[in-house]
Amino acid sequence: MSKTSPNAAAQSRERRVWYLIAAVIVAALPLFVTDSYWRTNLIVCALNILLAIGLDFVLGYAGQLNLGQSAFYGLGAYSSTLLVLKLGLPFWAAFAIGTLMAGAAGALLSFFAVRLRGHYLAIASLGFAVIIYQILLNWISLTQGPLGIYGIAPPPTVAFPGLPQIAFGDLRNLFYLTAGFTLIVYVLLDQMVHSPIGETLTAIREDEVSAASLGIDGPKWKAFAFAVSSAAAGAAGCFYAPLVGTLVPDAFFVSESFMILAMVIVGGMGTLVGPVFGAVLLTILPEFLRSLGDMRLIIYGASVTLAVLFMPGGIVEAFHLLRHRLFPEGEMR
Amino acid sequence: MSSIVLQQAINGIVVGSLYVLVALGLTLIYGVLVQINFAHADIVTLGAFAAYGVTHLLSGNYLAGIAAALGLGAALGWLINAGIFVPLRERGSELLPLIATIGVSIMLQNAMLALLGPIPYAFDTPYSNQVIRLGTLFLTVQNVLIILVSGVSIALLYGFMKFTFLGKALRAVSQDRETAGLMGINPGHLIMLTFVIASALAGLSGAMLGPVLVLTPFAGTSVIVKAFAIVIIGGFGNVEGTILAGLLVGLIESYTTQFLDPGLIDIVVFALLLLTLAVRPTGLIAERREENV
Amino acid sequence: MNPAAPKQADPPTPLLEAHRLCKNFGGVRAVQDISLTISAGTVFAIIGPNGAGKSTLLNLLSGVYQPDAGEIRFAGLDLVGLPAHRRVRHGLARTFQKIRLFKQLSVLENVLAGYHTRHSIPPLQYLLHGAAFRADARRCRAGALDLLEFVGLAHRAAVPAGSLAYGEQRLLEIARALATSPRLLMVDEPAAGLNGAEVAALLRRIANLRERGVTIVLVEHNMDLVMTLADRILVMDYGERLFEGAPGEVQAHPEVIAAYLGAEAL
Repeated sequence: MSKTSPNAAAQSRERRVWYLIAAVIVAALPLFVTDSYWRTNLIVCALNILLAIGLDFVLGYAGQLNLGQSAFYGLGAYSSTLLVLKLGLPFWAAFAIGTLMAGAAGALLSFFAVRLRGHYLAIASLGFAVIIYQILLNWISLTQGPLGIYGIAPPPTVAFPGLPQIAFGDLRNLFYLTAGFTLIVYVLLDQMVHSPIGETLTAIREDEVSAASLGIDGPKWKAFAFAVSSAAAGAAGCFYAPLVGTLVPDAFFVSESFMILAMVIVGGMGTLVGPVFGAVLLTILPEFLRSLGDMRLIIYGASVTLAVLFMPGGIVEAFHLLRHRLFPEGEMR
Repeated sequence: MSSIVLQQAINGIVVGSLYVLVALGLTLIYGVLVQINFAHADIVTLGAFAAYGVTHLLSGNYLAGIAAALGLGAALGWLINAGIFVPLRERGSELLPLIATIGVSIMLQNAMLALLGPIPYAFDTPYSNQVIRLGTLFLTVQNVLIILVSGVSIALLYGFMKFTFLGKALRAVSQDRETAGLMGINPGHLIMLTFVIASALAGLSGAMLGPVLVLTPFAGTSVIVKAFAIVIIGGFGNVEGTILAGLLVGLIESYTTQFLDPGLIDIVVFALLLLTLAVRPTGLIAERREENV
Repeated sequence: MNPAAPKQADPPTPLLEAHRLCKNFGGVRAVQDISLTISAGTVFAIIGPNGAGKSTLLNLLSGVYQPDAGEIRFAGLDLVGLPAHRRVRHGLARTFQKIRLFKQLSVLENVLAGYHTRHSIPPLQYLLHGAAFRADARRCRAGALDLLEFVGLAHRAAVPAGSLAYGEQRLLEIARALATSPRLLMVDEPAAGLNGAEVAALLRRIANLRERGVTIVLVEHNMDLVMTLADRILVMDYGERLFEGAPGEVQAHPEVIAAYLGAEAL
């Protein structure tokens, strides 16, 4: 994973090849997965990847723990849905506003706590997650509280002249929409972390005083990373509502933040591709463990603790170790 | 009206003094290790269930229940330190231990859920139904017991920190590892001691909170959020500030329940937390702790 | 070589001026009434026993702390109230007494992080790398490798900073600070933990930097290094100024010898 290999241009080309491979996988998946239950799972998977890479951007790179992902997720879901239902806004306008609102809330929250150690930010974001949940639960005139909002319509049908209409009531199209969006976000984040922004964020993660001595404005960049992370969660929320068709506060309880954290940790934080593996594994695997009931969550918890203790690089590290074992002569990328 | 205000003040102090016990544990650990044990509140919940179980098994011997909770808390503290914080210490990360204990918390909560189910337990101690009347005010003996036990525990802890050699050594570790080494004390042992004391306090407060709280496997989550708020409002590592903030949050809770809506408790507490972060980031009682650069 | 003499005859332009700086930590007077004037292109050393307030003074100058009282002017600009990261943009850089490298990043990445204020990339190219992005990357990389060459660490560019030997880490801190292209470089005990040969190499490098026009503030215990390099020396004790003068004057000053030099010089 050395970023100091002499040929940066070759690496840049290689990254573009990987983007292309990912796009091909996204395009091909619905051809093999035709069952609507599994197509829904694929969409959930795409949303979880979006949530996880968003969290990893702030946690793995800037070294700040955002335990408010569940709240930003909920903020995006509820605000976009309510903007459509109550104000009659078009879906995509509501989508943009919901995403921006979540991002702004994240930046604002980080400004409250940036003056202090990372722990404060983690706790402030956790508190924020509890508050948003309580507001969703208690502001019944707006959110209908625990009863929830029902019958949320899919995003409006897109029609380009001369082409067949694209209706998002069709799970295949909704998958292309969400997975395509997630892929675009992934590419943008990947380009950012492989730019001086990545260096800046990791410098803050490693030593903030030292970073300031190089001209890095820690609070500003933490707020930026928080905003990006929260906006990604907000966007995921905007897609979640029309996918499920129903919004209840319990979908955005604090435990959701922990699930997203588990995906990042198990996949391997500090690499963008790790959380993708983590999200896929922890979304699809439980489908096979449904019979275990509550044991499922015990496994989530155990996997987080064990990964931190024994495999802090997560799946990505395990993969590297394995490759090293199998091909000891092989060149390290 | 004024009797309601007074009555709620008593209720607030009862709950608040227990929050103080929980938050003091967090703050003690933060003081020596600059780390957070996220599973701290689950020790509270486990303490509550242990007390519940033993009290019922021994047909109403609540004191034995309290002792069991205390012991279980101490044992869990030892285990969490030895299993998580000691192995992670050399990695020197600020967040890894926090994340690992989040994992522990998820495990403990869901293990309790699998064993005990989500339905709240009615934990009545022999003292829950004995009422003392003071004019228009009334107190259960349980409430008196809570105030007494937490008051004594807080006083003992305070005295221990201020006046005993070990307590001074503990404070020395929180200032500077090397000084503690010079005092001839192994910092590792001191940290272990801190964990055991802090977690025993958490177990104890669980035993006392059990009859007051809605006792489910998730009871700890609402407690930990308040405990975190208390610790930040009071100033991390600051014992006096934590006591003050704990009582304050207890009062806010009981007055919000009485005059506003119980659903707003977390919102009000969190608003206070944000206000503190914005106005006095080091807590109510400012503590100057300069980073050695 | 003693450039102090000609400089006294010809009053040089001050680059950094501090006037009556004070800093207390909970009742402890870490820095008390310190004034100093540092001329452009000189080496200004600060010496004194441990706990004399040297590092605190450096932290005040670099912006890690703000002074309780006093003024700091850098090239005419008022620095008080300006946070550390803003001072870097005006040309101040520093190293740390307790090494603060980005240990998990490679040696080269540490230096590249020092280019934070010096990139020229159109904002959109952060999201989609283009020609300007790649040109900037090449420029910074070449510059960073030059700096590593200068401190003699070019062959270690790819290893994690945390795996360097102690003396190498000190040199890497200097390279990283230089990456910000400073006019004034503050080095906090650069020779601590270095062996004789390494000190000699460090001396050559600092002299070389001065020749390139970089002004140096040097906090150091190694008297050979200080006496050879410094144009002016400030002696501190208990947060206060004990004496300030050229190396010859410092060595001859009875109070300084009694308070500090005596013990080490003998």
